[in-house]
Amino acid sequence: MKTESRFRETSLWATIMIIFGLVPVFMTSTYQMNLASHILIWILFATAFNMLWGLTGMLSFGQALYYGLGAYFVGLMVKYLGSAWFFPGMAIGLVASAIIALLIGLLLIRVGGVYFTMLTLAFAQLMYQIMFKWYNFTGGDDGVVGIMQPGIFSNPIVYYYFILGIVIASIWILKRIAYSPFGMVLRCVNQNPDRVRFLGRRVRRNQLRIYIVSSVFVALAGGLMVGVDNSIHTDMFVWTTSGEVILMTVLGGINQFFGPFVGAIALILIEDIVGAYTEYWSLIIGTIVLIMVLLFPKGLVGEFLQLKHRFLKLKKHGG
Amino acid sequence: MHSKKRWICLIVAMFAFCVAPAGVSAADKLIKIGGLYPMTGRAGLYGKDSVAAAEIAINEINAKGGAAGYKIDATFNDSKVKAAYAIRVAKRYISEDKVNFLFGVVSSGVGLAVTEVSKQEKKIFIGTDHASTRLTVDNFQPYYFRVSNNTFQSMASGALYLQELKKTKPWKTIAFIGPDYSYGHSQFDEIKYSLERLGVEFKVVGEYWPKIYAPDYTSYITSILNDKPDVLVSGFWGGDTVAFIKQAQAFGLFNKMTYFHPDAGGNYELMSAMGDELPLGLILGARHYNNWPNTEQNKNFVKNFKALTGRYPTYAAEGAYAGIYAIAAAVEKVGNPDDTEALIKALEGLKIKLPEDPDGFTSYINPETHQMIQTQAIGVTVANKDFPPATRMLGNWKVYKAEDLVPPSDYIKMKRKK
Repeated sequence: MKTESRFRETSLWATIMIIFGLVPVFMTSTYQMNLASHILIWILFATAFNMLWGLTGMLSFGQALYYGLGAYFVGLMVKYLGSAWFFPGMAIGLVASAIIALLIGLLLIRVGGVYFTMLTLAFAQLMYQIMFKWYNFTGGDDGVVGIMQPGIFSNPIVYYYFILGIVIASIWILKRIAYSPFGMVLRCVNQNPDRVRFLGRRVRRNQLRIYIVSSVFVALAGGLMVGVDNSIHTDMFVWTTSGEVILMTVLGGINQFFGPFVGAIALILIEDIVGAYTEYWSLIIGTIVLIMVLLFPKGLVGEFLQLKHRFLKLKKHGG
Repeated sequence: MHSKKRWICLIVAMFAFCVAPAGVSAADKLIKIGGLYPMTGRAGLYGKDSVAAAEIAINEINAKGGAAGYKIDATFNDSKVKAAYAIRVAKRYISEDKVNFLFGVVSSGVGLAVTEVSKQEKKIFIGTDHASTRLTVDNFQPYYFRVSNNTFQSMASGALYLQELKKTKPWKTIAFIGPDYSYGHSQFDEIKYSLERLGVEFKVVGEYWPKIYAPDYTSYITSILNDKPDVLVSGFWGGDTVAFIKQAQAFGLFNKMTYFHPDAGGNYELMSAMGDELPLGLILGARHYNNWPNTEQNKNFVKNFKALTGRYPTYAAEGAYAGIYAIAAAVEKVGNPDDTEALIKALEGLKIKLPEDPDGFTSYINPETHQMIQTQAIGVTVANKDFPPATRMLGNWKVYKAEDLVPPSDYIKMKRKK
C-alpha cells in the first residue's frame, strides 16, 4: 500500500515536471512559455498563500505585501546597483521578507478571524502607499522597467527552467511541511485551537511560524516574476493582487494541497483566453467564481476527488 | 470500456478546441496592428473613442485599397490600465498574433512598460495618447513613435500663455496639482523648466499629488485655498478633471485664482460631462479640439465620428486616427509592413496632414525624439451650444507655433544622460 502511494506521488511530480518541462520544446510562440512562467509563479504564490488559509485557517488579505517586497528588492537592487545584483537581491528580499513577516506577524497573530484579515490588508496597503508615494526612489506608479537578469539567465528558456526548478522544489517543500508533524499541528490549529493548547502546543507560535514560511515563499514568487516581466509595478502590492490569489484558491479548492495549483492554472488561462476575445473578462471570471462557490464549494480539485471517490465506490459495489 | 471511450472523446474535443484558432488562414496581405486601450473605468471613454477613430481610419484606408496593397487588420484589447497585464498582452500580440505594430495606450505608466517590450522584441510601438515626455526623451528607444502631443509641448505653450497673461492679469505665484505618476510629474517639471527658460518670474507655493482616479479631492482643495496661489496649474486628465472641477467649484476655488490646465483640461469629455455647471473663463488646452481648427478635414473627422458613434469625440480619438494614418503612410513608403528597420526610417521625418493641423501647417515626426511635432492652441471656456450635450466650448484661442514648443537638444541630452 505504501509503495503504491509513493509510486503515485512520484508519478504525479514527474507528470507535472514533464508537462511544464516540455513547454519550451513544443511551443509555437515564446508567448506560451511566458504564459507558463506566469502560471508557475502564481502557482507558487497561491500554494504558499494557502498554507495560511487552507491549512491553518488564517485568511490573509495582504500576501501581496510580500509578493511586492520580493519583486521590489530585486528590481530596485538591479536599478541602482546593476544586473549582477539580480540574484543577491532575490536572496536579500527573502531574508528581509522573513524579518518583516516576523515583526508584522507578532502583531497579527494577537487577533484572529476577520480582524486578522483586516490587519493584513492594512499592512499591505500601507506598504503600497509607501512604494507609491516614494516617487524618486521607487518610481511610484511607473515602477521600474527594463530589469534584466545577468548572464545566461537573460535567455528566456534558461530562465524558464530556472523558474520551473525553483517552483517545483518550493511546492515539494511546502507539501512536506503540510504533511509533517508541524503541518498536523497547523491543521489542529485550524480546526480546534483550544484542543491544541490542551495538548501542550502553542497556537500563536505555530501561527507565526507558518506566517513567516508562507511570506518567504510568496516573496520568492515576487522575485521570480521580475525576470519574466522585466519590470516591477506598485500593482504588485495592491489588494487586488491578494484578492486574485484568494480567487485562485477558491477556484481550485481550499482544503486540497493541490487546489491552488489547479486554481492558478485555471484562472490565468481563463483570463488569458477570455481577455483576448472580449473586454468583459471580469464578468465572465466573476460568473465562473460565483458558480464554483455556490455549486461546487470544494473547488475543482475537491470536486474531482469526490467524484473519483464516488466512482470507485460504485465500481466496488458493482463488481 | 464505456468510460474509456468517453475519455478519448473528451481529450479529442479539448485538443480540437486548442488547435481550432490556429486553423484561421491569412489569405489577404495584411498589416497587423495590436492595440491596447483601457475599455472600462474613468479612462474607458478614451479607449472607446480611440478604437472608434482607429476603425474610421482603417475603413477609409482599406476602402481605397489599403497601403501598398496591404489591408489593415487591427485587434484591440483592454489594457486594464495595469502595466503587468499590458506587458503580457503586448508579448502575446508579438509572438502569437505576429503583429507588425503595437499601438495605442492611454496611461503613460502603461506606455513606459509597453515601450520596454517594444525595445526588447524590436517591434514598432505607435503611441497615440499617453503624453509623458519620458517616453520620447528619458526612456527613448528607436522602436517607439508618438503621434500626439507630449506634455513638454503642452507645457511649453502653457508657459508662453502664462508669460502673456502677466500683461493682462498680473500674477506671481503658482501651485500645481496632478496625478502622482510619470504623467503628472513630467508636467510639473516641464512647466517650471519652460517658465524659467522664458525668464518668467514665478514662485511655487504648493504642489499636490493625489493618486490617479482618486475619488475625493477635498483635502487637496482646502490646502490649495490656504496656499492662495495666483494661478493653479492642473495636470489631471479624463474623469479626474471632471471630478476635481466639480468638487473645487463647491469651494468657490475658481473665483479665487486662475485655473490653468494646458495639457488635457480642454478635452471635450469635460464639456459634455459638465454642461452648464462648467465655469466660464477656465484656461484649458488639449491635443485635439472639435471646434478648432476650422478646416474641412477637422470638420469631416468630427462629423464621421459623430455619425459612427452618436457622440462627439474626445481628443484621444484623433490620436488613434493619426496613428493609423502614420502606419499606412510608412507602409506605403516602404512597400511592406515587415521590414521594421526600413519602417523606422520611413516614420522618422514623416509628414502627415491631420485634422488638428491648421491651414498652412503639416504635422511631422522629429527624427531625434520620434515625437510628432504639432501646433498647439489654448483656449478659454465660453458659452457655445454647437456640440451638445456641451454648452461650453473653448474659444478666444491663442495659437503657438510647433517649432517653439520642441525641447531644446541640450535638454534632451541632459535627460537621456540621467
